[in-house]
Order: sequence, then C-alpha cells, then structure tokens
Amino acid sequence: MTTLRHSPFSRRAWLQRTSAGFGALALNGLLQAASSPLALRAPMVQPRAKRVIFLFMSGGPSQMDLFDPKPLIQKKHGQSVDAKLPEQHRHESTEKLLALGTDIPVRPRGQSGVTISDLLPHTAAIADELCLLRAVHADNNQHGPAVLQIHTGAIAEARPSLGSWISYGLGTENQSLPAFLTIHPGIDTRNYAASFLPAAHQGTPLVLPSKVSDPAIDFLTDPSTDAATQQRRFDFIQRMNRRLVERDPGDARLEGMIHSLETAFRMQAATPDLVDLSKETEATKKLYGIGEKTTDKNGRACLLARRLSEAGVRFVQVTMDGWDHHGDIRGGLPKICAASDLPCAGLIRDLKSRGLLEDTLVVWSGEFGRTPWSQDLSRTAPIEKHGREHQPESFCAWMAGGGVKGGLMHGETDEFGFRPVSGKVHLHDLHATILHLLGLNHEELTWRHQGRDFRLTDVYGEVVREILA
Amino acid sequence: MPSLPHQLASDRRIPRLVWIGVVAGLSAAAHGSDDAFFREQVEPILRERCYECHSHGEKIKGGLVLDSRSGWQAGGDSGPAIVPGSLEKSRIIEAVRYANPDMEMPPKAKLTPGEIAVLEQWVARGAHDPRETAAVAVKPGIDLEEGRKHWAYQPLRDSAPSLVRDQAWPLSEVDAFLLAKLEAAGLTPVAEAEPHTWLRRVTFDLTGLPPTENEIAAFLADHSDQSHERVVDRLLASRAYAERWARHWLDLVGYAEQIGTEGKIFAEHAWRYRDYLVESYHSDKPYDRFVREQLAGDLLPAASPEQRREQLIATGFIVLGDVDINAIDKLKMEHDFIDGQVNKVGAVFLGMTLGCVRCHDHKFDAIGQQDYYALAGMFRSTKTTFKTRHGIWSNVHRVPLPELEEDRRLGAKHEQTLAAWRQEKAGLESESKALAGKTDAESKKRLDELTSKIKALDLRIGHGEYFHPGKPQALAVADVGQPADMRVTIRGNPYALGDTMPRGLVRVAMWGPQPAIPAGQSGRLQLADWVADARNPLTARVAVNRVWQKLFGEGLVRSVDYFGVRGETPSHPELLDHLAHRFMAEGWSQKKLIRTLALSRAYRLSSEGAPADSENNPSQSDGLPESAGRNKIDPENKLLWRMNRQRLDAESIRDAMLVASGRLAAPAGGPGLPLEFPENLSGLPLNEKGNHPQFAIKTERASQAYERTLYLPVVRTGTQPGTARLRDVFDFPQPAQLTGKRNETTVPTQSLYLLNADLIRQRAADLADDLLKARDSDEERLGRLWRRVLNRPVTDVEREDALAFLAETRVGGDDIAAWTELARALFGTNEFLLRF
Repeated sequence: MTTLRHSPFSRRAWLQRTSAGFGALALNGLLQAASSPLALRAPMVQPRAKRVIFLFMSGGPSQMDLFDPKPLIQKKHGQSVDAKLPEQHRHESTEKLLALGTDIPVRPRGQSGVTISDLLPHTAAIADELCLLRAVHADNNQHGPAVLQIHTGAIAEARPSLGSWISYGLGTENQSLPAFLTIHPGIDTRNYAASFLPAAHQGTPLVLPSKVSDPAIDFLTDPSTDAATQQRRFDFIQRMNRRLVERDPGDARLEGMIHSLETAFRMQAATPDLVDLSKETEATKKLYGIGEKTTDKNGRACLLARRLSEAGVRFVQVTMDGWDHHGDIRGGLPKICAASDLPCAGLIRDLKSRGLLEDTLVVWSGEFGRTPWSQDLSRTAPIEKHGREHQPESFCAWMAGGGVKGGLMHGETDEFGFRPVSGKVHLHDLHATILHLLGLNHEELTWRHQGRDFRLTDVYGEVVREILA
Repeated sequence: MPSLPHQLASDRRIPRLVWIGVVAGLSAAAHGSDDAFFREQVEPILRERCYECHSHGEKIKGGLVLDSRSGWQAGGDSGPAIVPGSLEKSRIIEAVRYANPDMEMPPKAKLTPGEIAVLEQWVARGAHDPRETAAVAVKPGIDLEEGRKHWAYQPLRDSAPSLVRDQAWPLSEVDAFLLAKLEAAGLTPVAEAEPHTWLRRVTFDLTGLPPTENEIAAFLADHSDQSHERVVDRLLASRAYAERWARHWLDLVGYAEQIGTEGKIFAEHAWRYRDYLVESYHSDKPYDRFVREQLAGDLLPAASPEQRREQLIATGFIVLGDVDINAIDKLKMEHDFIDGQVNKVGAVFLGMTLGCVRCHDHKFDAIGQQDYYALAGMFRSTKTTFKTRHGIWSNVHRVPLPELEEDRRLGAKHEQTLAAWRQEKAGLESESKALAGKTDAESKKRLDELTSKIKALDLRIGHGEYFHPGKPQALAVADVGQPADMRVTIRGNPYALGDTMPRGLVRVAMWGPQPAIPAGQSGRLQLADWVADARNPLTARVAVNRVWQKLFGEGLVRSVDYFGVRGETPSHPELLDHLAHRFMAEGWSQKKLIRTLALSRAYRLSSEGAPADSENNPSQSDGLPESAGRNKIDPENKLLWRMNRQRLDAESIRDAMLVASGRLAAPAGGPGLPLEFPENLSGLPLNEKGNHPQFAIKTERASQAYERTLYLPVVRTGTQPGTARLRDVFDFPQPAQLTGKRNETTVPTQSLYLLNADLIRQRAADLADDLLKARDSDEERLGRLWRRVLNRPVTDVEREDALAFLAETRVGGDDIAAWTELARALFGTNEFLLRF
C-alpha cells in the first residue's frame, strides 16, 4: 500500500500532468480529470462502497427514545436513579437524575429484531437493512465542538472535513460537479471546509430553493444577462486566456484556470437539470414524502442526495435540524421524527431498488445523544414535560448499504443507557470504518502540514470489523 | 478523553523504549500458589484484554506496558498503574471498574465481573508478578545540545556574498547572493520583466492595489536612474501600504469581529487592533517594538495616555484568536485558549509548532513539555476571558482605555442624547400611566402607540448605553492578581495534573539562563524581551522570511510558519542571515527591508519560462538551451532564476476593481460590523438573565461597498457579509487558522463567481460609466480600459477582438451595457487575477 502523501498530488506533479495543452483538454471532455486535484484515484484497499450519503441529525437525537430502550429507566420513571455520576457529568437542571421513560414503545423489528421506536415507522420497516450502532461515543457535550468533531474528528481546531478527506483520497467521478456537496449545512463553514487540504476538496453548500427562480448553488446563474451575451463574454475571456497561455506555455496553472472556467460554464448548464426534481415520477416523490408538508423539505433533500450520488458525487451530506430537545421531548421528538423518518427510509428504499445501495454507504447520526435522565430548565414543569441534556458518552447511529451488515445491532450500554459496556465505537472509529469501506486506510491517508502528517483520525481510530459484511 | 493534537499514543516511528532484557532466576517456591494464580488467571486476562494496547509486541498507549512487572511499576503517563495491596490507589482497578468516565479500560468493552474480581484479588493480595523479563521504559527526554544543532536555532551569521562572474547583474548584495548560487548551479537568470509588469507587480505587492493610469504614465515617462526608487518610496509612504501589510499580519492572528463560533457574538472592539496595525505599519514601527507591544504592551511604561492606549490595544494579539466561549467546562475552555496562545506565539514569531507539546514532548524538535508549560504558565497568569452573566457564556477580556479629549467630547454629547431619550421616555410613561385603565377606543389606541414608542426608545437607550463612545475599551489582556506556575496537564486533560513547571522560555532557542520573573507578574514581559532580542536566533529570520515570501511568492524557507526540523531548509541560508542581520542593523525597519528587496534585480525578473511538460509537450519549451537547463536543474525555481507568479488575494481582487472603476473610498477605519444599527443586534436592551447579545447583519453600511476589503467585517461563521462574500471564494483563510502563506486554489466556484456575481457586474458598470463620461473614441477607451484593468497597453489583436465584441453586444446602441460586458470579461481573465 502506498501512503497518500505528496507524491501523487504535489502541485508540481499536478502541473506536469496538466500541461497536455488546451487542444487536448477540449478533446478529453470529462476525462480531463487528470489535470485537477479532483482527478479519479484508485483506492488503497478493496473498496466496499464507492460513495457516501451522510444524513446528519443536528442537535442530538435521543437514542433511548428511538433505538435503545432501558427497562430500568422505564421502571424508575420520575424517580431519581443512582448512576454514580461524577461531578463533571452533572449538568444544569439534570442534577436530580430523574429517570425519564419513553411514552412511545421501542420494539424489535423485521427478521433481525433491530429495536426501533414507533416514532420511526418507516425506518422500522427497513430495519433489516440497518446496522445499528448502540454505543457510539464522542468527546464533547456542546453543539459547536461536537458537530465539528463528527465532521472533522477535531473539537477545536479547523481540520479537513470527512467529505474533504474522501474527495482527496478518491477524487470525483463527475468532473462537472464538485466531489463533496452538502445540502442545508449549518452556519459553521468549518464543518465542510477543506482546511489545509487543497480547496478543491471543500464541500460545496447547496440550499434547495424555496422558489424555483433561486439558484441552489451560489453564483450559478446570471439573471442580468441573456444567454447569447453570456456565451460571447465567456468566449472572449477564453480567447484572452488562450493568448496568455500561448505567450507562456509553461505555466500549467493558466491551463488549470482555463479548465476551471470550462467546468464552471458546464456546471451552469448541467446543475440546474440535476437539481430539478420535477422530472421524477410521482411514485418516487411519494417514496420520500415530497409534497407532504412535514416531509417535503427533507424529502427533496434526500432525493437530491440520491440524484447527486447517482451522478457520481463522492460525498453528499444532508443535514436535518431539530433534535435538540432540552424540554418537552415528548412533544418535540415526534415532530422531527415525522419530518425525517420517511425521507431517510425512502432514500434507502430508492437506493436499493436502483441497485445503488450495494455500493453506497448511508450513515445516519447526530453529534451526540441525550441523557436517560431528564432535564427541566424551567425547574417547575411536571416530569412529562421534561427534556433531556446532551450526552456524548453514548448514543446511537445507523449505517446501511455498501459493505456493512444489515439487521445488526452492535454495542451495548449499561442499564442506564449512559456508558458503553461493549462494542463502543468512538467517532474516530466510525471515521476509520467509513474510510475503510471506501477502500482508504485511515492511518495512511495523510497530508503534510506544518511539518506533520495529519489524518482524519488524528492518532486514534480503529476499523469496527464486527460490522463489516 | 478530549481529542488533542497527536498524542504519543500510537506513535511507532520513534523508539521511546529501550529494552533492558534480563532473564533472571525463577521466583522462589514460596510464591508457588501466587505464581499459579498469576499464570492461570491474571496473565490470560492481561494478555487477551490489555496487551493489544499495552505491550511491547503491539502498542504502548499512554506510555503503559503490562507485559512485565516493571511495566506497571513504572506506569504510564498517569503514574504507576498498580499500588500493590491498594484497590483504591491502583489506577488499573479504577479503569477496569469503569469508575472514571475519562479512564475506562478496556475502552471498547468492559471486563466481565469475574475478570474484574480476579484483578481485584490479585492487586489486593500484593500484585505478585513472577515475570522477570523486564522491559524498562526509558524516556530519553529532550537532548537540547543535539537539538540546538538545527540551523534555525544556531546564532545568526552575517557573511558577504561570494564573488560572481557577472558583475553587472547585481544591483545589491541581495542580488549577489542569489546570482552566486545560480552561477554555482550553472544557471543564468531570465531577462527583466517589462516596465509595466514590474510596476503592476510592485504596486500590488506593496499596497494590494493596482497602479492608476497616471501612475503608469508617470513611470513609463521617467527615464532617470531613480525611476524605480521613486515608485517604491511613493508606495511605502502611502497608507495603502500599511493597509496591505496589516492584513498580512491579521492572517497570523485569527482576527475576526466575531468571538467564537457558537452563536453570533460580536467582537465590538476588535477593530482597534486592526487600526493599530495600520498605524504601526504606516509609521514603520520597529519590529522589535511591535513584538513587545503585542506580547506585553500592558506591562510596558508609557509616556502618554495615547501611548498607553496603543500598547493596551496591541495586546489584542493574544486574545483575538478563536475561542469557544459557550462552554460549561470553564477550566477546559481556559486551557484550550491558552493552547491557542502558546501555539500562536510559537508559530508567528518563532516558526515553532508548540501546540502538540501540550500532550507530549515534541517528536522532532528539542521542545519538551517543560517548555510548553513554561510559556503556558505565563498565559495562565494573564486575564484573557471572563464569565458573563448570560448563562454559560464567557467573553474575551476587555480593558478600559485611557480617555482622551475626543472621547470626553463624544461621551458628553452622547450623554446629552441619552438624557434626551430618557426624558422623552419618562414623558411617554407618565402619559401612559395617566391613561391606564381607560377603556374608550381613543385612549386604548393612544396607549398602544405609547407602548410601541416606549419599546423603540428602550431599544435606542439600551443600544446607546451598550455602545458608549465616551468609554473606549479594547479586547486586551492584563496580568492576574496572583500569577503562578502551571502544572503539566496529562494528555491535555486539565483535570489530570502532573508536575509544576516554572514559567520561562523555550530552552532550545535560549542563549543564557532563564530570566527572573518578578513576583506578581505573568512573565509576558520577559517573554517579549526574549522574542524581541537581537540574539534570538528565530525572530528576525522568521520576520524577514515572511516579507520575502510576500514579495517573491515563496519564502527562502518555504514553510514560513515552521522553521523546525521537519520544515523546509533555507534555499539561501547566507542570504537569510544577511537579511536578518541587516534588518536589525537598520532598526528593525520593515519599510527599509521591503525597499531593499523591491529594488533588487531579482525582483525585476520576468515570471515567464516555467517548465513545460517535456513528455507531453516537447515543442512548447521556448527552445533555448538555457531555458531547458533552468527547468531541468531547478524546475521549482528555488534559486529564483525567474519571478514566481502569484494569484491576487481576495482583498486585492475586490480592491483592484474599485480602483479600476475609480470608486475606491478614502481610507476608513473604525468598526467593521455595522452595529450602529440597532436592528442588527438582538439581546438589547441588556438583560443579564437573557441570552448574550448577538448580531445579525440586516442593514449594511452603504459606504462599505466602496471601502477597502480590509475594513469590511470578518465573521467566523456563515458567509462573509455583503461584498466581503468574495473572500469566501478566493482563499481567504478561516479566522480559526494561522496562515503565513495563503492558498492559491483554482476551483470552479471561483469561475462561477467571476462569471455571475453581482459584485463583478456592478464594478464593471461603474467602470463603463466612468469610461463613457469622457468624449473619447472607442479606441481610446479600449486603451484606458486595458490600462485600468490589466495595467498595460492593449494589443492590436485584442483591440480588434474587443471592437467586434462591442459591436455584437451593443444591441440598439446601448453603449453602457456593451462596455459593462466587456469590463466584466476583463475582470474574468486570468491575466487580471494573476500578478506576473
């Protein structure tokens, strides 16, 4: 195995490969990949998946209410539990450690018996496709750092995002599109940033337009100018650019810039079609809940994710916000479940029926989970109106598709649902496993920065072999 | 456990352990039953559940090995693993019981109760361990003597350049150093660039702006020997120079007008530090003074209130980085912030990476945890944050500035305004009171009116009290009441403490004993003195290398922020030392240094002649044997036989369009965030029980569209506001990152921006409008357009092309639209984006 370091990707090597001349460039069409940092690259080990769709549940879904029922908590509902919790784990308004049971049952599903709440009926119906991780572990209990960690592995520093590492490791299959697209990302751009990796690997944010006239990608269109004038202006620029190259044929960057302008002009043409969901059949739209008030936004995002994956985008992320239930979780949780359940399950079904699930890895996770005991910031609400505090110590995530065992539950937590007792999967392990499934060795996918070889997993992470199909 | 920069855990590159294998005699027979217990019950558990991470055969995580008796006796990073006989004191028992969430072993799956019981029994019975083959961990520690042999820690050596064959080529010693190396490699430099290329280059490099039409004409008409000097001196004297170089410095600071990344907390005083930088560069403040002020300005004597202010503001350097202020765990927050500060001081001034030493000795450089915590103790003894009364929010420390006459005047005026508002409010309130309880429609209507008026006044008063111009403050530091040395935090965990480390300096770069830190002081003054000392081997080298990189595209040391063992070695070590020496001899003057470099022959060279790919394009090399030789011998241009090209940075791209269209506003300054509009703020009037006040830019300050990009607000989360959006597209560094050299990427999103962004269209429209004001012919206009955008004459081919473009685009004689499109096209060309 070779270590992906500077050799194949150095600017020089890239420049050398680029200088095929502008004529060749035009002929090569989509194969001109070699000239860019997004050039297609062979994986390091046998890949099980070619692409990833990451369904990010922002806010911290409550694993106990959704996937990991705890009889003790259920039994002790409203009473204090003795979890022997050290001081630093007692948070504001959780000090009493009042057990908060679930009011909606979590039951075994399908052939496999993977446990899923009635709140997620559509996910329950695809239980046998899911590999449910029940002892995922993260390091920080605040949203900002925790969200950063699930995206980049780091808590405080700006580091390349998971999608950026994958783009760097494998390149892209569609030169008309970026390798890493993120739909409805949160406001912290560090979560999809390339950081010290070349900027071509950064995530391109995409916001589904609420109006048809709004572009889904910034600066994708020029509403102020007619098409003929745009074409004329583009041609004029490229003539200027070509004359410049002729004056100094050695500077491969000039050709890289010409190429980039070509791609951009192609994106202008190709992307609106790709993000136009109107041509999908009614049956497909229904599969995702498109057109229904509660599921429309997430449904469209998930369908778009499928279309982008199908078109060769290596890493697509869909963020669904609304899981942060500090109060009245029994009121709030059903809403976000209703908004996300069908879109996520529909995506799995759609991928499966198109034969894409085999080599598409879908990952569903929040940045952390929630405590088994209640939180009541008002300090006056009855237990039924309580919520739950953040819990990075253990939570649930699921994976499906490319290379993972379906219908499997991996990991266990203690009787409270607080600490992992077996099958603990740290976020670093999750990252290592995702890379492994794509054929990348997390210890060897490195980038030299300020004298050190950086990895997505820093010095941590082990592939979770038990879940590999 | 927190994720920290590369811990020693799984490092397998450096042999940290030395085997002292001794096979000794068998244990005494008396231990027979203990032996059997160990062999049969204890050892299998250790082997199966612990060795994977704690043995010589596999990994040695946390420095702990359990495959020998001496292993657990010596223990790991946290100390001995077992205290025989004591279950309470034995960390291994605590770990397997999962009693401490930060130390649960084995991490993935707890041992069975039976296994735990075996280990407990073993420890309780005295932890008899018959394994005599001992692997003794010997931590080699830091070898300072060896470490100091690295070039960057060696004292500066000033030397004269070797003699060169081509005596006519060098214009200065700088050139002689460069030419000597080229000649030694059998290379000759390329020819000089054309005059207009040099003028564009030097104007962008020194000021971040393009030359104007008049400046181009003046230079091309000046045939005297002093023509270059006149340009350089004019540029260095301009405020634009200071603005450009202040921005370079901000790239090293993590500067933003937002604090942290949680929510949108404004850093309402940050701009003072930015303006301080502009003033410092404008007045060519000596670099050693500049360093001292930023590290310890609060501790320096001041001759006047003005100077005191300046020095206080300068310490913003320490606090204007990224810090997560919405933290429950304040101790951890504080330690993370300190880590950022230590790292910043190391990288910015010294070219050292210190961040990793928080958890373990540096793997490559002779920098130990002792050094890290010596510095960290100084920052721990410095006030940098404070806890607000809003929930769990902290904020960055602020210091009231000495009030000047101007503040008193503004303050008094502001008080009058506030008093008038309060009086108005009182009037409305008493009217409201009188109407209270009345039920007629008229009264109710009036009451509603009054309520909304009072609410609006409340907002204005609350806003006016919060942003009081008479009470100037700065985001700055002060020493704490009781400065103290700091204890090592094991693996960066602030709750797991090791030895106390006395405050002091980084030993590998010291030439004398540790300084005495007076009681009651943090030690930052001693730090500042050491960094700014002419004997410090790193400071001047790092500083001149940064300047060199900005002018020549690459540093003499290419890893500009890292001069350590794993960094790049200098391409011209003698030249680097010569420049560093000269820099200090000339009073640490950055302007003099820049002048010397900008007036060199090397700086005049053409940037053409980069290597063509000979395999694919044999015919595309220029055919000269010299060129082939240059590219063969030095394809990366390390010897500087030609100038390196650079892409304009985001600021220059935007600012150049403003200059080209004739619309650049006069130098500004002051707050970048438009917080003067109350609607841009939430959480005011201040309610201490409510959330922390935050900003959201709903109203932009119209004048900012024409100000230099430096003065636009910088935010940490979300897209950059308004026309500053362009920064996001063209490699503006994330404020969380310290960036000595910016990326120059080429991605389609940039091309989309150039093709479609409204900002480009607006500037093009301004430019077209300006061109059409004069009664020129189209040919004359084209000449002006080219001089303004590409800063050179238009060629015949281009003129024809452009005239044809105009004719096709001019529908129904709409001149302005056609010229706008042409200007847009020029702003989209590679030639505009690059500085040659």
